[in-house]
This record gives sequence, C-alpha cells and structure tokens, in this order.
Amino acid sequence: MRRAALGRDPTLVATLVVLWSLLALFVVYPMVVLLGRAFVDEGAPSLGPLLSVVGDPHHRKAFVNSLLLAMLVGVFGTLLGLLFAFAATRASLPRSWLSAFDAITLLPLISPPFTTSIAIIFSFGPRGLITHDLLGLTGTSAYGLPTTLLSETLTYFPIAYLTLKPVLASIDPNVEDMAYSLGASRRRVFWTVTLPLAVPGLANAFLLLFAASLADFATPLILAGNAFPVLPTQAFLQITGLFDFKGGAVLSFALLVPAAVVYLLQRHWVARSHYVTVTGKVGPQSGYKGTTPLVRGLIVVGCVLVALVVLYFYALLLFASLVKAFGADNAFTLAHYYAIFSEGWRAIRDTLIIAAIGMPLGGLFGVVVGTLIARRDFPGRDALEIVTMINYALPGTIVGIAYLIAFNDPPIALTGGAAIIVACYVFRYSPTGIRATVAQLQQIDPSIEEASQSLGARSGETFRRVTLPLVLPAFFAGLGVVFIRSMTAISATIFLVSISWTLITVRILENMTELSLGPAAAFSVFVVLAVFAVTAGVSTLLRRLKAPGTAPISVFGT
Amino acid sequence: MSEAVGVRIEAVSKRFEHRVKGEVYAVKRVSLDVRPGELVTLLGPSGCGKTTTLRMIAGFEMPDEGRIAIGDREVTRVMANDRNVGFVFQSYALFPHLSVFENVAYGLRVQKKPEPEIGRAVGEVLELVGLAGYERQMPHQLSGGEQQRVALARAIVFRPRVLLFDEPLSNLDAKLRVQMRGEILRLQKTLGITSVYVTHDQEEAMAISDRIAVMALGEIAQLGTAEDLYHRPNSAFVAGFIGRATLLPGRVIERQADRTTVEVLGQRHAIVGDQDAVRVGAAVRLVLRPEALRLAPRAGRGLPGVVGARSFLGEKTEYRIDVGDAAVLVASDAEAFKIGDPVDLRLPERGLRLLDEPTS
Repeated sequence: MRRAALGRDPTLVATLVVLWSLLALFVVYPMVVLLGRAFVDEGAPSLGPLLSVVGDPHHRKAFVNSLLLAMLVGVFGTLLGLLFAFAATRASLPRSWLSAFDAITLLPLISPPFTTSIAIIFSFGPRGLITHDLLGLTGTSAYGLPTTLLSETLTYFPIAYLTLKPVLASIDPNVEDMAYSLGASRRRVFWTVTLPLAVPGLANAFLLLFAASLADFATPLILAGNAFPVLPTQAFLQITGLFDFKGGAVLSFALLVPAAVVYLLQRHWVARSHYVTVTGKVGPQSGYKGTTPLVRGLIVVGCVLVALVVLYFYALLLFASLVKAFGADNAFTLAHYYAIFSEGWRAIRDTLIIAAIGMPLGGLFGVVVGTLIARRDFPGRDALEIVTMINYALPGTIVGIAYLIAFNDPPIALTGGAAIIVACYVFRYSPTGIRATVAQLQQIDPSIEEASQSLGARSGETFRRVTLPLVLPAFFAGLGVVFIRSMTAISATIFLVSISWTLITVRILENMTELSLGPAAAFSVFVVLAVFAVTAGVSTLLRRLKAPGTAPISVFGT
Repeated sequence: MSEAVGVRIEAVSKRFEHRVKGEVYAVKRVSLDVRPGELVTLLGPSGCGKTTTLRMIAGFEMPDEGRIAIGDREVTRVMANDRNVGFVFQSYALFPHLSVFENVAYGLRVQKKPEPEIGRAVGEVLELVGLAGYERQMPHQLSGGEQQRVALARAIVFRPRVLLFDEPLSNLDAKLRVQMRGEILRLQKTLGITSVYVTHDQEEAMAISDRIAVMALGEIAQLGTAEDLYHRPNSAFVAGFIGRATLLPGRVIERQADRTTVEVLGQRHAIVGDQDAVRVGAAVRLVLRPEALRLAPRAGRGLPGVVGARSFLGEKTEYRIDVGDAAVLVASDAEAFKIGDPVDLRLPERGLRLLDEPTS
C-alpha cells in the first residue's frame, strides 16, 4: 500500500487516528508532564530542581551506585549467561539436561519481584539458614551491594542466556572445526574464532542486563538498605515518603538519561553488527572439538552449581510458605495460604480483574500496531514504532511517576482507578506482542493479503478474515506477556495502586515491610505457579495455532 | 458469462527511489491494448518492469503517470478490491488457515453470495481445474501443482473481467510446467477471459500467448505474435530473447523490390523478402537462427568456417562454427562433423532478418 492510497483507505485513517490519540494520551503526555515538572520551576523553565538534586550528595551517591550496580550485574550476568549458553550449544549435553537448564533459567523470568530477595534474607539474614544456622554467625546483615548484586544477577542472567544461546548456536561449528584443522589449539579457537563471533551478542546481553538492573526497583528496595541507595528507590521514597513530586520527577530524569543511552546503544550499535556464519547449506557436523573433557566438565559443573542455587532459593521460598515462622518455628502449616486467600484475596481478585481487562486490549493493540508496521506504508510509520516502544524501554519507575503526576489532577484524573493500571500494562507491555506480530508477518507472504484484496475484500475485511487469523499466535503471545507482567511487575504500578485497587506484587511488598515473610512467600509461590501454568497453556496453544511453515513464537518475544 | 472486455494501458509510468541511482523508472510510458478475450504475455528478463506493469493493472501499485482502463471504466485510481480482477500469484498466496473450499469461496463470501450459490460455484470451478474431492484439504497438504490449481480456481470463481498471471508456473518442475500451461490456456479459452500473463520464459510465452509484449528496461521493446517476434524481430534484444540467434555485422550493397544484397564476412549474400526500410550502404546486422543455417563439407560455397565446438542433443547436433573472428551457432541434423573440420556455412535466402542498427 503506497502513500498515495492513504486517502482512499478510510479504515487505515480511522485506525491511525485512534492509535495516535491513545499514544498521545498514555505515552507522550505523561512524559511531557514529567519533564515539565522536572524543568519548570514556578512557571519558568529552570535547571534549579536538577541542580539541587545534583548538589545533594545522597542523590549523587544514588546515581553512582545505580550505574555501579548495573555495570556489575551486566558483567556477572553476561558471564553466567555465556556459561549456560556455551554448555547448551557446545557441551553435547543430553536433551533432558538442556530441558532442565531451560526450565530452571525460566523460573527467575516468570517470578514476582522479591522472590530471590526473600530467599536471600532467609539465607543470609541475622537468623539466616546459611549465616546463622550453618555458619553460626551472629549479627550479620543481608543488606548492601553484595546481596543486591547476587539477587539481581541470579534474576537477570537468564536474559543473557536467552540472548547468547541463539548467537552461539548460529556460529557454524564447521567454522570452528576449520580453525581447529588449521592447527589452532582449542583455547586459540575459542579466543580467536568463537568469542569474536559472539562479541555482538555479548555486548547486547550486557546492555540488556545493564538496563534491567538500572530499572530494577524491587530488589534494591528490599536488599540495598540505607547504606547503598540507588535511583529508582530514591525516587520512590521521595514521592511516597516526602510527597515531593518534583524531586521524584528530577530523579526519574536522572535515571532516564543512562537508560536512554543504553537503549540507543543497544538498538543502533549492537543490533546492526551481527555476523552470519551459516551461509548456504550447513554440512554434516562432527562433534564440537573446541573443549577438552576437563573444560567441558568444569563448565557443566558451574552450570549445575548455579542451577542448584536457583533451585535452593525456590525450595526455600516454598518451605517458608509452608511453616509457621521460618527459622523460629518450622512446624508445617497452611495458614499463610489461608491468609492470602482470605485477607489477601482482594489483591488476587483485583490483579486478575485488571489482567483480564488488560490482556485482550494489550493483545489487540500489539497485533494492530504490528500489522501496520510490518505491512503498511503510511506517513509517520517510524514515529509510531518508536513511540510505542517508549514506555517499554523506560525504567518502570519513570513510567509510574510520569503516570502518577500526569493523571493525578484534572484535566485527566485517573489515579485511584483500575483504568490507569490497565493503561500502564497495555502501553508498557504490548511491544512484545508488536514484535511477535512483525516477526510472524515477516514469515507470511505479503501476496496473501493482496490476494484477499484482489478478491474484493476491503482493508478492514482483509485484516479480519486473513491477517488476524494468521497473527493469532502473536496475539496470544502478547496476551500472555500482559498476564505475566500483571502478576509480576511492580516498579511502575506501585505508584498507581490505591485503596480501591491493589495488586499482588504490592501486597507482597507490604508483607515484606511488615516482616510477615510467610504470606509474602505464599503469595510468591502462588504467582510462580499461576504464571507457570499460564505460560505452559499459552505455549501449548501457540504450538497448536502455528501456521504451517512458520517458526513458533515464544511467549517472551524475540 | 459476461461479455469479455479489453484492457487499455496508456503511457503508464512508475518511478521508484533507488538507493544508489536516485529516481529510476520501473515502468516508462508503457502503452498496451489488450483485446477482449485475448491473452497477452509480458515477457522479459527480471527487472524489466513486467511485474510492476501487471501489479498496476491489478491495483496493487498506483502509476505515477498514465491511465489504465478495464473495458469502458477508467480504473487508474480505483482500489484493487474494486477492480473485479482475478490475480494468480507466483507464490500462489493461498490462505494457509483456510481449506481448499474456503480458499476458493473467499471472493464469493466477500461478495456475500448466498450459501447454496457458493457451494455450487466452488464445486463447478474445482471440477473445472480437476480438484473435485479436494474441498476439505488444507493448502499445506497439497503438492505445488495442486496449490497452483487452487489459486487458479480462486481467481476465476467470481467471474472476474480480467485475469492476471504473475509467473504462475515458475515454482513448478519442468514437466508440470508444460502440463499446467496447457491447462491454463484451455481454461482461458473456455472462459474467454481477457488475460495478461507475466513470464521470463520465452518458450512458455510462445506456447500460450495470442500476442507477446517483450519488455526491457521498463519499456515495451516489441509487441506481436510469437511468429512476428521470431521472424521479424526489430532489435537485437528481441532477436536474442525470442529463440536463439547469432548476429553478424553486414552492409547493404543493393536493393531491388523484395531482394536485398548484403555483404557479410567478406561475401555477398542475397536475401529474399521484405526488409522494411534498410538503406543501401547502411550498416546492418543479420539475425541468424541456428536451425535455419546449413552445414556442408568445405567446397567453397558459403561462408568458410571451422567446427569450433560440438554438442550432440539427440534431435539435433549443435555446432559452433568459427568464421574468421565470428562464432556462429548452428543446429543441424548432420551429426558427422568433428571439431576442427573445415565446413561451408550456408545462409538461407528466405527468412533472414536484417536489423537496421549498427554494431555497438
């Protein structure tokens, strides 16, 4: 469809008007209000608020800490991810091992926030299983950089694994065998062939982890403690503790700058420089000879250890949810589960209602935008793509504060209701559905839509009869992501809950601050199980719906 | 059946932005008049603009200049869904989520035809393309040839006024291609639907077309029947694209009535037949068709040549005859000549074409 045709396609025009209105209201407007709050003082543009924040040593420290933490999480998470990716693609492990690794690395991705934090407190706190019971230490603190780093690394390294696995898998082993047959030693092959080919993937993984850690709000809130302030928690405390919206806005802006830099780096530098080593037909592959049995053994042992730590944390969580008071009274009880389904029931109900409203909206939004981006040529298409990515790419704290400031007062007062939480989910988590739709459509011959057109169908009818059924898998993938995020996200929505509408994740946080860790653990177990069930259900559905001849879509997008 | 209508393309152009070359013409002032019921083929190498022209007739692309009319109706700015044109895609473009029946019924459902009529029409057309009984199959269960038949059935079931084919056979193997083109021709003649057919395969074009438009660089190089193009090409490009030809440089020595004498490779040769307007003294090129040339053992009658290469193809034997610097392709019934044999290359008197263009 050419530009010239825009005027004669009323459906397209109407769709674009609706989309842009929604994006203007829920993406552009909150950001403008946020920046306005940060840079306008008493009606005049001013750098005063920014300078006062920069001048505050505590805030400066939070900024430096955030970057330091993100850097370390990026490095360690990428290394762990590389370890697992190498084991998965180069250690010729049996299939059952690979499935086990995949399942274990999936756990942190679908868990609510605080999951590892709770387990770390159980392990390393003053009465921790490891520090107190095992090592006999007293007066230990579970707070600070080391535990925050450990928790975030274990939470986010699966992102690096998922990024690096296809990168390593796409390196044709024949290339490595070639270097080997040319006389290079195994170590030399790794350093001169495998690693250089994986560099773009490593950089990508590092940046993704850096961004994830920078945006992480829940982990430092629990584990960082007073000695190690970071930006997202500072912004949160500024608003909820001091009701200082302006200070929160300025701190958000301080967070926005590195996040935007990382996002742009990731998008424009890494995304472009990837190598394709599989050219033409891949010949028969001999077993990979690049590792000695010893190295291979060490790698597998490393992976197993990490996997055991992850499993240990989740086992601990399950255990804590089933005993009266972890560490003090280890008698079996279902009281915590009773609690979450009685006094905690409202949070579960609210969460499910909001998810139920957000899922179809988010799924549809993803499919419509994805179809427009992949299939139509119209003025402002690139702008549309970028604007739909903004809320997704920004740390949740920024989005939450922007929504809070923008929709707190007339003309558009939405805070306190369910609508603002739904809107937050739809515009923050639909990019996965958008990208899944684009990926799906790229595999489908564009002539199919032209065929429908030549058979007399108008563009709306073509979308309904042909495009929509074909992108149904992407629709369900988008739906699944909105569900997972409504069950697990907190950084944005913590600012948007109210007396009338609350969320499971927020209840977990409240439980944590009240030190009622049992219900917090029970909630977490419930969320993990619910998300696991829905993920499995959606994955099965996706395999069923897969159009013949197209690659399957992951719930986690691409 | 409704009355067949013609398709008229007037000075249609389509430009696009090239990354390196800037604005270039994909199609440049192309005019074409397809008569009612006729099958015209757009033939040319890839990138010659044939598919773009076809897509503009379908309404998938809008021309930057010019007009397109189907019958009496100008459709230049009409959307594709409003043109009543059947399109058969190179990739078939079957709806993968719909059964054979639903694929074929699609156009009728869009027109909101009553159910019994849909059932009857789809049944008839599946019968016509030889797929009765396939109604419940899904596209991915079908072979390439069967998918092609479904695509064909889907394009004709709603009685379009014009049928457009975009290289419909290029994904089939050679044998099936020959069979399917016979069926397409039979269907087109039975239904009498005006058709435009795009292909890069000259044999296919010659086999099915009423007329052929040979395209090059976005323009129509020559329009005519297969016989016209073969015997009377108007350019070296057409001569080389339709059938095979060796071009030899020559000079017109003398002209009288329908007899023209040319000098070629140092010898005089008389040609019988109309040669349009070649002037005496003009530099020309002779179009030599391999099967029109004859070989004889060297006896001083004809162009003196030496056998440079030989391949035995069964029906014919193909020789490359070196005459001085020129290499001439000859398809001969004689199998006996060996590489290095001196031969006489005899040019025919009739059916030789002179191109009034200097060697470039």
